[in-house]
Amino acid sequence: MPDRRPKPVYNARIQEIRLPRAYSFRALCCLLLMVSATAVSATDWRAPNAQLAAKIAAVTGPGAVALVITNRSSLNQADVDDIRRGLCTELAALGVHSAAADQAAATAQVFLSENLRDYVWIAEIHVGDNEPSVAMVTTPRAEPAAGEHAAAPMTIHKAPLWTDENRILDVALPTGSPQIMIVLEPENAVLYVVQNGHWQAQQTLVIAHAHPWPRDLRGRLVLRKDRLFDAYLPGVLCSSTTSAPLALRCLESDDPWPLATEPFPLSAFFSPARNFFTGALSPGIQKQTAIAPFYSAAPLPRDKYTLWIFSGADGQIHLLDGMTDQATKWTWGSDIASLRSGCGLGWQVLATSRGDGVGDTVQAFEIADRQPAALSAPVEFGGSITSLWTDSDSTSVIAVAQLSETGRYEASRLSITCSR
Amino acid sequence: MKRRGSPLLAVASLLVAAVAVAATRPHYGGTLHLSMRAAPASLDPNQPDWTTSRNVFSLIFDTLVTLDDQGRPLPSLATTWQAESGNLRWKFFLRRGITFPEGRPLTPDIVAVSLRAANPSWKVFSTDDAVIIERDSPAPDLPAELALLRNAIAERDAGKIAGTGPFVIAQWDPGRKLVLAARDDYWAGRPFLDSIEIEMGRNFREQMVSFDLGKTQVIEVAPEQARRVATAGDRVETSAPIELLALVFSGDPRSAADSKQRDALSLSIDRRLLNSVVLQNGGEPAGGLLPNWMTGYGFLFPVDVNLTRAQQVRAEIPETTVWNLGFDANDPIERVLAERIVLNARDAGLRLQLATGPADVRLVRVPLASLDARVALAQLTATLGFPPAKNDANSLDDLYAAENALLKSQRVIPLLHLRAACAVSKSVKNWTRVRDEAWRLPDVWLAAERP
Repeated sequence: MPDRRPKPVYNARIQEIRLPRAYSFRALCCLLLMVSATAVSATDWRAPNAQLAAKIAAVTGPGAVALVITNRSSLNQADVDDIRRGLCTELAALGVHSAAADQAAATAQVFLSENLRDYVWIAEIHVGDNEPSVAMVTTPRAEPAAGEHAAAPMTIHKAPLWTDENRILDVALPTGSPQIMIVLEPENAVLYVVQNGHWQAQQTLVIAHAHPWPRDLRGRLVLRKDRLFDAYLPGVLCSSTTSAPLALRCLESDDPWPLATEPFPLSAFFSPARNFFTGALSPGIQKQTAIAPFYSAAPLPRDKYTLWIFSGADGQIHLLDGMTDQATKWTWGSDIASLRSGCGLGWQVLATSRGDGVGDTVQAFEIADRQPAALSAPVEFGGSITSLWTDSDSTSVIAVAQLSETGRYEASRLSITCSR
Repeated sequence: MKRRGSPLLAVASLLVAAVAVAATRPHYGGTLHLSMRAAPASLDPNQPDWTTSRNVFSLIFDTLVTLDDQGRPLPSLATTWQAESGNLRWKFFLRRGITFPEGRPLTPDIVAVSLRAANPSWKVFSTDDAVIIERDSPAPDLPAELALLRNAIAERDAGKIAGTGPFVIAQWDPGRKLVLAARDDYWAGRPFLDSIEIEMGRNFREQMVSFDLGKTQVIEVAPEQARRVATAGDRVETSAPIELLALVFSGDPRSAADSKQRDALSLSIDRRLLNSVVLQNGGEPAGGLLPNWMTGYGFLFPVDVNLTRAQQVRAEIPETTVWNLGFDANDPIERVLAERIVLNARDAGLRLQLATGPADVRLVRVPLASLDARVALAQLTATLGFPPAKNDANSLDDLYAAENALLKSQRVIPLLHLRAACAVSKSVKNWTRVRDEAWRLPDVWLAAERP
């Protein structure tokens, strides 16, 4: 039965980053910079300028007015200059000309201010000895963008994929045509396809679940060969159908979650009401089938075995090789993931930590003689990292962060390039 | 085993030092110990003094709507809403599957009864899956109004009260101690903490002693003490200036002379000195009722002392009245502020005398109830006992006009907007710094000891 409820009146999805995957990585970064730069310099002040000019002109009437603009907001000087020019143009169109104070019949003191949500432009208009009139217009404030750092000897490249006000649990990018992106949210898996160079929502698949989700909800997308994907959530496993139109079948399930992609067939059971893996492994690392509860795991292939690194719920990093469980004193965060870059030893671990500024960072490490060596500078995320999963082909890692300034979630693909 | 070396490792050691503090996922479990000055005799959010205990109510009750940090409405118990008939009639569709702690479902009928109890003048009806609210005049800000904790949804039955919030009452000693336990079945996810213990009715000094002894992990800090506590190495979280400190007269000016005397008093007060010296920059000088960060126009209301002008205005009054200045005798900082105001007034030739009983003008502190400027102003006028400001439209010009009219009535002289501050133990994680003084305790967790 169709839902007869009205559409929500809040929180409309704002799609800020729409990027086709076909671009080469470097071209993608350049494009991002260009888009970002364009967005900054091309703010359209025409509407508020026109509104304020009309309000000023309604008080002063046509003639000479002394216009004084004072910036009391976070706008930069370039924007202030733009606004000044625009306002003069709009006033001139209404017959109001800017003049020196001693030659003007009125004075308009314009303050560029701001409040929680908007830029607030206020004109205090003095005509003769009358009490000053106050006119105001508002226009929404732009949201700040997150920054990026790069460093040697390896460089972590962070390519933004998607941003949303809703929590993003994971993002998957199946190879093939058409280009598809799957975004896993708490209540939906949303399929996007590239149309005219932008990601367009194609289908929203509801994730049915009987129990409330735990706080700090986690989820993982796993691409499959016989169907498009599986979505693992606490106590729930959802599988997509094979043919279009796609459907999603969700069941209460305690099936273990895959910890990595091929060739590391290790899974682990996830607590249905918490945010960690219980520690039970399937099938196990040789003889080791259970460890202490952990948040994340990352495999590093060695010549004759695989070294598994676990970020324990006890705050310790554990190294498992099938025989021993070595607890370390490393100061890594809860989220780790490994990827195959081809640089250095071939595989690296990305680990979270707390940055100097606001928010978490991710840094690349290699493990030699059971000791970590940092190989990249920390990459800032401008907020808390809420998810870090290795991509299906193991060549990149999908990171999701909640940005401190805006509260929005931003999914990025992290990959490593070698230095010279 | 064959060892493979990477030439990069030689360079890499330089980067190891960059790893600082681990970023960890939240941990479940533990008890958070808090203390506060307020000592509510009841846990019913529908009480006149609800703003002083709203952080407690938010742990037990939900509202239909919440506000984000920019004052924008977000869904809570209501998932969607729509206005009809020029904002006179609103329909709020309820989230399905919400239960009270003992398992009873939240129904539209319960919501309607709760809202009617808090707002007797509203017409509230229930349907199968929604509630309809009809107002006598347009209410464009009704969603933000419903986010006020006084409008929290509560079921009242035979002297007991229950909410759908993240915690359930485990122990309640009215005005003294409250123990709350996390709800495993909370619709927005179980809180990370297992329980919260709140000591009530503790003054700032008692709270600081308890904090220093490690008995309490979160305490309130007086605005004038916040900087000193932070300098001493404790973690202090401060809000935006969110509490109005003002002089409020008992009535409208009775004569032209009375009006001029109020003008002279306002001009004589050195707000910047009150803030910097008495309150150690624990706030901001205020010329308006709402802070500038909330409206963007607050700077239009002058805050600077103008003693010359005050003396001129005083000189126009044939005979001044001696005013009794009331203040809260239990608040030591209010006494200091009041004494300073008396001195300022004397410099302008005005006579004020301190009074703890009946007063002509009273020094008051009023927390702003909402991050939505229009709702905040409406609640402020209600708290101060002023007639409701006419503010049916949805523009900033109208809000400014309403606030300006209140100031011109000369019933109130704004002095400062104060920050709320609290000291937070280092073991308390994910304490969200918000503009208002709201606690976001369901998201707080306690750090485990690292081995």
